[in-house]
Amino acid sequence: MKIRSIQTKVLVALVFCLVLGVGCVIALMQYFTVENSKGLASEAVAGSRKLFAILETREISKMTAVGDALLVNQQVRDAFAAKDRNRLLQVTAPLYPQLKEEGITNWMFHTPEPDMSVFLRLHNPSKFGDHLNRFMDKEVVRTHSIASGNELAKAGFAIRVLRPVYDAKGKLVGYVEFGEELGQFIHTLKNQTGNDFGLLLNKKYINKQYWADSSAVWNRRDNWNDNPQFVIADKTTADDNIIKFQGDLAAVPDEGKVLETYSDGQSHFIRGIFPIRDASGQAVGAMFVLRDISDVYHTMRKTQEILLVVTVLSLVLGIVLLLALLNRFVFKRLNQIIVAATRLVGGDFETEIKIASEDEVGKLEQLFEQFRHIFIDVMKQMTAMQDK
Amino acid sequence: MSQLYELKLRIEEKIKADGLDATEMKGRIGLKSGRLLAFISATTPDDPEAIVKLTQAAKEVLNLDV
Repeated sequence: MKIRSIQTKVLVALVFCLVLGVGCVIALMQYFTVENSKGLASEAVAGSRKLFAILETREISKMTAVGDALLVNQQVRDAFAAKDRNRLLQVTAPLYPQLKEEGITNWMFHTPEPDMSVFLRLHNPSKFGDHLNRFMDKEVVRTHSIASGNELAKAGFAIRVLRPVYDAKGKLVGYVEFGEELGQFIHTLKNQTGNDFGLLLNKKYINKQYWADSSAVWNRRDNWNDNPQFVIADKTTADDNIIKFQGDLAAVPDEGKVLETYSDGQSHFIRGIFPIRDASGQAVGAMFVLRDISDVYHTMRKTQEILLVVTVLSLVLGIVLLLALLNRFVFKRLNQIIVAATRLVGGDFETEIKIASEDEVGKLEQLFEQFRHIFIDVMKQMTAMQDK
Repeated sequence: MSQLYELKLRIEEKIKADGLDATEMKGRIGLKSGRLLAFISATTPDDPEAIVKLTQAAKEVLNLDV
């Protein structure tokens, strides 16, 4: 269909611009929503990772301080130096519930090298004499100074502080170890951030029997067979949906990784992960982060809707204004010239065109008026000639 | 009376019969046919081309079948 009217052509062009403009605004808003979601996700992962590191440092400091305080106690040192397990248990057992209240769930004494076996477990006194052979054990033997970090033992994966104990003469009598289960960290993380967390441990670095023992000690279900690559040490939500990971835990970058943004009905979530390293620096697991961004998402959507309505209204108002201006300054005046020209040909010599301004249409009006006067003269002359 | 003049009279009759604005209608027909109706008189010689154009213009503007 061929459009003849300039007014219609302009209208079509403006409507096209309107549609294009609205389309661009929607695309731009979508882009910003995605980018904002990514930003939120990255911030959630990075923030949780930082908080986790802060908690780790804080708890290591706490356990180091507890160790300092304990080793001032002569009774403890003497009982340990005398290898008197029962006496050591007697003098330390009253302290254990207090430490446990502070989150220190693991407390062990180790014999010195070369044997370095577990001499006493306050959290499981009946079990002793076993060799753990962990990285931290070797490290504390090598340096004879405090070793700390995340390490798996029979009672579970925990952040630990292992330090040498000397008698009054300065002779090494063994080592004392405090530990806090990493699993309980995630509840602190949840309390502080509001996010949900799940702690995954790579099976490659965990002894199946250790895991079974650890589960028995803490009255947990042995979930070894739930996932092929990892075990879930703990999580802050009963919903297993938080743990959806198919990749290689060892490949998770140090700064963490945003896995996905997903929606569940009216709720919107982002899921991320950051690695957990043991004392030797190996990425032995990962922390899942699940952040509910529904509030932010709905606020963003609401803002987008308002922006869209404002944009559409502005564009429509702009189009109406432009058409009104074009109509007033161009189309209406052109139409007046057309009407006047038609009537002039029809014999109406009286319809004058009022020159409204000196713009382009005004020049045409002026030209038409000049032409009209010439035309009237010619008509008069011809009529006179006809009359003769 | 020429055919051209007869055509002019029929156009004027039609305009009158339909109660239309005579000046505007004549103007439109004049512009379409390229001929001023005011100058068509009984003595105006017939011009086949002018008759065709005027007939077409009358049809378009007034829907007048001649």
